[in-house]
Amino acid sequence: MSEADPLSAADAARIRLVAALAQVARQDRTALRQVYEMTSAKLFGICLRISSDREAAEDILQDVYIKVWNRAGRFDADRASPITWLCAIARNTAIDWQRSSSRVVTAPEDAAHAIADDRPRADQSIEREQQSDRINLCLDELEGRQGEAIRAAFFDGLTYADLAVRMDVPLGTMKSWVRRGLQRLKGCLGDG
Amino acid sequence: MAEPGTPLSADERDALAAELALGMLTGAEKAQALRLQLSDAAFAAEVAAWEARFAPLHLNYGEHAPPANVWNGIAARLDGPNDISRDAGLHAKLMAWKTGALLSGALAASLALVLLFRAPDSPSVDAPQVAQAAPQLAVAQMVSPKADMMVVARYDAATAQLKLRADNMPQGALVPELWVIPADGKPRSLGFIATTGTTRMAVSPKMRVMLEDGVTLAITMEPAAAVPHEAPSSAPVAAGKITII
Repeated sequence: MSEADPLSAADAARIRLVAALAQVARQDRTALRQVYEMTSAKLFGICLRISSDREAAEDILQDVYIKVWNRAGRFDADRASPITWLCAIARNTAIDWQRSSSRVVTAPEDAAHAIADDRPRADQSIEREQQSDRINLCLDELEGRQGEAIRAAFFDGLTYADLAVRMDVPLGTMKSWVRRGLQRLKGCLGDG
Repeated sequence: MAEPGTPLSADERDALAAELALGMLTGAEKAQALRLQLSDAAFAAEVAAWEARFAPLHLNYGEHAPPANVWNGIAARLDGPNDISRDAGLHAKLMAWKTGALLSGALAASLALVLLFRAPDSPSVDAPQVAQAAPQLAVAQMVSPKADMMVVARYDAATAQLKLRADNMPQGALVPELWVIPADGKPRSLGFIATTGTTRMAVSPKMRVMLEDGVTLAITMEPAAAVPHEAPSSAPVAAGKITII
């Protein structure tokens, strides 16, 4: 991006979000509400996707914003994008919930439906990053089942055992698919 | 998974770093990876590199507007009886303690304390042998790269017993006291730890509920006393966050 480029809407949203998080770090509730307005649809999408349970996702989302309230002081805008920092909190919180609750692993026939929205959309509201295109291209280049397993591990927060059940292969086979896929992914991303 | 103590090959380490970054690990495997992340800066950097690689994928998640009652729930929790944000004086005092004590670079650089908890009921569909090897366990480890001081702790959620073993803690008139610092920022003493050998403590029901994910634990050096102190008098020599596994 050249310096002559005007500030894009995404850049402006990012700057507003960083500023709001700085206010949250000073325990400003209005700022937390602002962060919520800007990001709750995205973070709820994550909670819903991983928990596959609307009621649970609402509880998880509350926990996420309480964590944001407590951790905003640790956000470093020089090191992380604000939206991916928030998304990571939501994803980890939802995974923790998933691991500690009894649940049935998504059946294979549900899986196709469940992974329907894991491609980038044109209307990303906060920001679009070039790296997002890059890792998606690299995942597309992987051998089919390797890429599918890694996508499911990320987007649905699945363990090896979950993946083995969903894709109906032995645990050892799943491990070697994922591990080979990860190695190739690293190479494709150019830093392996 | 590798046997504990068996050195991992470079490929295995890299795979473990990726699996930790993806959140694929459970139970003893996750505990092993988290311990490695704390004690091995090179491994921690590999985990961070994998997190950075996967980070853009978060943008692929679809959006769903949550119902309005979710914000009300968050607001109610901020307003809860334990909310200290309305008591500016107390809040400032506690923030000063936390900031001065926990965020000081010297402390962060030299010591880390982590408690690895198993969730009380975590039916696991994978690796039954792992589940049997570590039932209802938590592991805590405090290490210092500079001195060879170390505290290892185990928490049994079933009996609410915390067992700590200390090696090479500072010897002198002061004794180490363990604190839990929940979301309200107020340190509560869990009791004193022996400077050498094993300490067993029963965690009271009141304290048990505070041992949650993300809550800070800290050790300060305090004058010996018959009962735990109301509040710490000095900066901690170690602090860290609880991670539930």
